[in-house]
Amino acid sequence: MTDKLFAESEAAALEQLHAQGLTDGLPVVIPTDERVARMVLATGQAAELTLGDMGPAGGSATIEKIAVAAVMAGCLPDHMPVVIAAIEAIINPAFDLTEMQATTHCTAPLILVNGPARAACGGIASGFGALGPGFRANASIGRAVRLAMMNIGGARPGVSDMALLGHPGKFSYCLAEDEASSPFEPLHVSRGFNAEDSVVTVVGAEAPHSVMYSGDADAGDDHERLLNVLAIGLANLATNNAALTGGAAVVVLNPEHANILAGAGLTRADICAALYDRCVHTTEALAAVNPGFASRLKPGAVRHCFKDPSQILVLVAGGSGLYSMVMPSWCAGGHRNEAVSQAIVLDLFCEIPVRADTSGVVA
Amino acid sequence: MRDGIEAAKQGLPALALVTDAFWPQGDFVAKSFGMPNLPRLQLPHPIAGTGQARMQAVAEDLVDDMIKALSA
Repeated sequence: MTDKLFAESEAAALEQLHAQGLTDGLPVVIPTDERVARMVLATGQAAELTLGDMGPAGGSATIEKIAVAAVMAGCLPDHMPVVIAAIEAIINPAFDLTEMQATTHCTAPLILVNGPARAACGGIASGFGALGPGFRANASIGRAVRLAMMNIGGARPGVSDMALLGHPGKFSYCLAEDEASSPFEPLHVSRGFNAEDSVVTVVGAEAPHSVMYSGDADAGDDHERLLNVLAIGLANLATNNAALTGGAAVVVLNPEHANILAGAGLTRADICAALYDRCVHTTEALAAVNPGFASRLKPGAVRHCFKDPSQILVLVAGGSGLYSMVMPSWCAGGHRNEAVSQAIVLDLFCEIPVRADTSGVVA
Repeated sequence: MRDGIEAAKQGLPALALVTDAFWPQGDFVAKSFGMPNLPRLQLPHPIAGTGQARMQAVAEDLVDDMIKALSA
């Protein structure tokens, strides 16, 4: 059972939550008994059901505690299937949550949503500005996962979350793939799911880095130039991917850039392979900036920045234009920054009618 | 800390060396993983990248305490 706090008013409750370090620094919706119970009811699952433990504190991720985080984050009941699937994904041992929460690197779980849940779970944005402000589902789902990482997993800056600076995606980092604008099969299909499945894929990722490319349909090597500049952004010599190698990382193509690559006959697998081939550095280049990471390499050797092409996650999102995004990654932990996909279960969930909450008093 | 905890759980003498900037995290991890009293010694921060001479000096300052802690 979740420990309870008591306050005389919502305003006092908010200050109490801030004072105890239970918020992300922004105001939260007060998780009253009634609000949490309604959120639990929406899941169709028992409040005490636990999905597993969340490190580094080892707190038990019960449905009730996840519902508390979701209420605080401002989630609607419709968002819960994605929140629960994302929590299941990050507590999968392959995700190395304990180590990821504790690292000095700036990494946060990027939550990627595919399939019918994009529409069914509150309308998760995938177009212009989808990683920015203005989209309730994206903001609330990502924030719920973060509050769970803090309040169930025990991540506290400078004590148990040792990120030297962090990044803004540690407030919320959630995005749907723009499957309608993509010339490729959806990301989750390339990861072994059926197109009609709803799937969340989580991967520890840095903040988005912009990659500018101005297409030129008259140039015979348009797609080659685009691949070259994407590779420079994804695994330049300053990244962990270059120095540590191995970890999964993300490329978010805008629809215009995706069509340049598709127009050249490239599939998603072709793009991943082409980026894998381009994300390489010589021993001498690595040694020039970080000799400690090149000391075991043979002179003249070329090192790939990724274990294999499947470690590069390519999806389509954002508005059309000059800019695609790359998210380099941490590359450490026992599983070396592995991406984890988890099916989103939609048919367990109950429809909860929206009800005006007029009391303003903590239950 | 995790390495020290894992070694201690296998019955091996363990002493965690933790820099002062990471001391609160050491306490947190020791408690979270069920070994709040795991022996640890505080080092100045930073250590990495400070050069061989500096690291040698820190080691010489701490070696007696390390032996003492591991012999307790």
